[in-house]
Amino acid sequence: MVSVLLPASALLAALLLVPELFGDFVAYQIGLYLIYGIAAQGIGFLWGKTGVLPLGQSLFFGIAAYFTAITLRAEGHLIVNLGLAAIALAAITGFAYVLAMLVFRGRNESGPYFSLITLALVMIAEQVAGTATSLTGGFNGMSGFSSLANLDPFGGFYYVIVAATVSVSLVLLLLNKMPVNLIARAVLDNEPRMQLLGFPTHVIKGAAFAFSAMIAALAGGLFASHQGIVTPTSTGFALSAELVILTAVGGRFHVLGPLIGAVVVGWASAELRDSFPYWELLMAVLFILVVLKAPGGIAELIEAAFRRIWPKPANETLPAHAAPSVRFDKSPVPLRFEDVHLQIGVVQILNGVSFETPSVGIVSVIGPNGAGKTSALNTITGNLAVTGGQITLGEHAIHSQPPHQALNSGIGRKRQVPSVFFSLSVAENLSIAMMANRLRLADLFRSSTYQWQSDALKGVLDHPEVPLAKGLNEPVEYLPQGHRQFLEYAMTVAAEPTVLLLDEPCAGLSPDETGLMTTLVQTYQATTKGLVIVIEHDMSIVEAISDKVLVLHLGQVLTFDTYDNVRQNPEVMAVYAGGTK
Amino acid sequence: MSSVLFLNLAWQISTLALVALGLAIVFGKLRIMNMAHGEFVMIGAYAPVITSTLGLPGWLQVPICLVTVGLIAFALERSIIRHLYGRMFDSLLATWGIAILLREVVELVFGRGYQSVTPPIPGTINLFGADYPAYRIAVIAGIILGFGCLYWWNTRSKVATQIKAMVGNPELAQAVGINTARLSAGAFVFGCCTAGLAGLVLAPTIRIEPMMGLDYLIRSFFALVVGGLGSLEGLGIGAGIIAGTQTFIGSVASQTYGYLAVLILSILFLWLKPNGIRSSSR
Amino acid sequence: MLKKNAILLSSAALSLTLGSVTAFADIKVGVLVPDSGPAGLFGPSTRNSATLAAEKINANGGINGEQIELVFADVGVPPAEAAQSALRLWKGEGAQAFVGMHDSAVREALIGRFGGQVPYVYTPVYEGNSCADGLYVTGETPSQQLEPVIPFLAEKEGVSKWYLIGHDYNWPRDTNALAKGYIADAGGEVVGEEYVPFTVSEFDSSLQRIKESGADAVLVTLVGGGSVGFNVGFAGFGLDDQAIRLGTLIEENTLAGIGAGNANRLYSSSGYFASIQTEAAASFAADYSAAFGADAPALNGLGQSAYEGLMLLAALANKAGSVDVAAMDAAAEGTTWSTPRGNNTMVGRHMAQTIYLADGSSGAFSVVTSFDNVASSENCAN
Repeated sequence: MVSVLLPASALLAALLLVPELFGDFVAYQIGLYLIYGIAAQGIGFLWGKTGVLPLGQSLFFGIAAYFTAITLRAEGHLIVNLGLAAIALAAITGFAYVLAMLVFRGRNESGPYFSLITLALVMIAEQVAGTATSLTGGFNGMSGFSSLANLDPFGGFYYVIVAATVSVSLVLLLLNKMPVNLIARAVLDNEPRMQLLGFPTHVIKGAAFAFSAMIAALAGGLFASHQGIVTPTSTGFALSAELVILTAVGGRFHVLGPLIGAVVVGWASAELRDSFPYWELLMAVLFILVVLKAPGGIAELIEAAFRRIWPKPANETLPAHAAPSVRFDKSPVPLRFEDVHLQIGVVQILNGVSFETPSVGIVSVIGPNGAGKTSALNTITGNLAVTGGQITLGEHAIHSQPPHQALNSGIGRKRQVPSVFFSLSVAENLSIAMMANRLRLADLFRSSTYQWQSDALKGVLDHPEVPLAKGLNEPVEYLPQGHRQFLEYAMTVAAEPTVLLLDEPCAGLSPDETGLMTTLVQTYQATTKGLVIVIEHDMSIVEAISDKVLVLHLGQVLTFDTYDNVRQNPEVMAVYAGGTK
Repeated sequence: MSSVLFLNLAWQISTLALVALGLAIVFGKLRIMNMAHGEFVMIGAYAPVITSTLGLPGWLQVPICLVTVGLIAFALERSIIRHLYGRMFDSLLATWGIAILLREVVELVFGRGYQSVTPPIPGTINLFGADYPAYRIAVIAGIILGFGCLYWWNTRSKVATQIKAMVGNPELAQAVGINTARLSAGAFVFGCCTAGLAGLVLAPTIRIEPMMGLDYLIRSFFALVVGGLGSLEGLGIGAGIIAGTQTFIGSVASQTYGYLAVLILSILFLWLKPNGIRSSSR
Repeated sequence: MLKKNAILLSSAALSLTLGSVTAFADIKVGVLVPDSGPAGLFGPSTRNSATLAAEKINANGGINGEQIELVFADVGVPPAEAAQSALRLWKGEGAQAFVGMHDSAVREALIGRFGGQVPYVYTPVYEGNSCADGLYVTGETPSQQLEPVIPFLAEKEGVSKWYLIGHDYNWPRDTNALAKGYIADAGGEVVGEEYVPFTVSEFDSSLQRIKESGADAVLVTLVGGGSVGFNVGFAGFGLDDQAIRLGTLIEENTLAGIGAGNANRLYSSSGYFASIQTEAAASFAADYSAAFGADAPALNGLGQSAYEGLMLLAALANKAGSVDVAAMDAAAEGTTWSTPRGNNTMVGRHMAQTIYLADGSSGAFSVVTSFDNVASSENCAN
């Protein structure tokens, strides 16, 4: 808690000292920068954590500012005004959530397209605000209202701003400590993996965007009350760009970074603008330097200096908590393909695949390269949409559900090339995996969630030969390939799926490691009594583990039988010409 | 459709396609979100101002434009842009800084005031029963010709394939002997030079001042995303839809509605068809 | 506690300085100029004009015997930041009066922040009807620029079919609302009216509409770069043969951007042109180039308005005997004074002034005619 309370109380103390030390007018100026800083903190949260860069944040800022101006003009009772503000805040948040969720649905990227949508929205808002003169006062703006509760903008209102700044910072600092923070970072790192772990990433990004929009709206409301005028520039593109610049300069990875950026840039430009004719030139050069040389902004520079004096304490290992049970139905069910077709562009990948697995056991899938093995797994998890036929798991058709629903049906999947969260530590990777399908809303805000452990995961980690238990706090990016395979395997079984899909789990492993992996898979199947489907090239492994073998060739089922029968099948021999690998 | 509306459409679409071409190369191929694109258009538009200030003959406008824009683009690529490949949002921020920088520098050199350039071909001519500025008709024809040549070159040249390879997998491209540093610098400079040329061509028909660049940037981005990155046809289609919507709604309703329609259309495309109407590669 | 110490320290500092220097008793006047932003073009000429005015005022004995000192702030930024800059001068540097050359949004923000506690002279062309306490206006309002000019042009050029085009914001809409009345009074008709967003820089469809409307006069209330782009396109399409243009914010810089080749039959109505041939104006222009050099930023109606603003401030403050808002309000009505624009009278806290109509066909303005002592109909009731 020190890392939350220390910065928050330091911030509070610093802000309270401003009017004492420098007088009310300086406090008034700082107040404006803080308001921008609050909005920038929202951007920092969204951009730094989930990688979504909002270019139109002044949309929410401006709408809230206009709304506040209209409310304050009506001169209603303070309680009524605050109630209306809460309703407006909720409405803006809801709007932002729906917008982002709709855009992000069915996409695995947070790239420039969403940013450009927010940009276009803010340009629309600015134009409408300028044109709808009767509603907004047009270009000249809406003015002639006093501030909230008639507080003096040069006096009392500063403390309202301080309260808002400290509250927002406190909430953001607390969120940093909570699982929700880890989840946001994981979405930025590897969105497809998050979906396979059952996280609806579009909902997560939508929620993050809505949260940042709410912060922007809060800032907008304060702005109207503080400035006594709202003009189209308050909902304009230039302000949006300015807020992003403040965030980048201050540092988007730190809660207080955007605040620092807003105050430093705001103060410097106010000081320099009137006296130094080249200040815009100077700001441009500094800004380019920050982007190139210090992407973490001022906050990261400060932290680096601070850490040199006061190094970060080592992570202590906390006791494990028993995880709640998963929500999917654990009774074993067969997986059935019925005349499944898959076409991408002009290429026919699966061409009428039909088979039904037993509900318990290990099924190996073999076939030459291009047979459609991985594509078949992709259709099961919803990463590829079938163009014909259907796939059922027990009673349920699963071929048209999105990837994040796969685990809800009890399907866990390990990918061919290890798909883990490279920017996170081993322990954090495993934490995320443990949250898969188990997480309820309240768990997002509870730090004990980090220490969840399941029997299946314990089985893997406690195995003496598995190379993960040591170095749990190491970042994954430096892990060797073999270790990554085991990590992804451990993450996949953590949720104890009833149907475990493994795509070449032994690729890149040494003979010893291969033996270990097969043992782990067999143990898992034996303890969970579920279904395991493995794509494998190595015939000795196939022989050792398989209850049944599915042979795919040119997008069709060649045969589906026991290993021995497959071995003697002349068609299979013709395709394989007898090789073992 | 009246013939003036038709010619206006042709003018808008062809000039937007020319302005957006450089951005299509830099954003579409190099994945640099070049917010300073409009500033290269602006610098190009100053080329006639340079020649008239220095008292040089008019035909030097083209080489002066290309040399000025090319040198600036090359210097920026070597000093800043080359650190930004593969960092799309950083490229957006850094080029935003570059845009401010270029505006300020141009302001220092030429002052803040408006410049005026007279068209090399004065007057109007009667085409399809409409009096239309002769210079504009020449420009439309020139742009169509230029795009024809570019299309022809694009289908036959090895450079286009190399760029595609480089964007797909820079390390592999390097391994097979493609000089990626030279190639990306070349593509960036080429993209900026087309923007400069667009500015030069537009100069007699628009206002010229240091702040003019922003007008061209956003429309170009929207034209690109609507048409889809990666192909010349897509660029043409995107320019057609964006300029066409603005011109058409602008003439039947009002310019404000035309502008709003362009924005709404862009949002719909970005949301529902993020790869644009046409995209050769993802 | 700390606050008390700070006050003690500053009052100690104050008492130290008070005893020694009388120059500190000067009246500081805050001059708000657009150094950055879209109007940044007018920053230098505004600063220069204000400086010239201060010299003139001080040479004539200052305000109530006290010398004035100018302090400048950049207000070419959004209203919130502009208001902060102004407040720094007021609260930080102790400015006792303000002269502002900026857009209307900034004016509205400043009215809110000043709250009538400090005299504030607003100088550029604007839409009229701004009547806050302590606000005095030198800028031309639409009625001043159009009421005498429209009938004059209708007569001189024989035009009757007017097309109104402006940027999509308050000033053009308010201007056109009045213009319609003057056009009707002059026996003309309005054949089209449209507003263009600031973000649109292509005027082709507007030009096509003007052509189809058969208009023989166009009232242009586009500003800055948009006006340049429109007028360049207008002449490019050969519309200058079809219609005259009248602009109420086409000053010297805009005309230079339009270029002589595109300015055929382009009129501008304003309280000031650099080429006004009166003795006062010529001597002002001579002083300007003597002070700032021959290639100083060109004089224009917006930049020069800062000179007018300071002169108005001095005239009012001298008449009232102080720079106190209440005293100045009481004394304002009917104040008369002379400037390069001519002889001015304060009517309804707006400046009744000479309005000039100039023809820009040659690429430079030549004054066609002038109308003396034109009062604004959008002034304040007091």
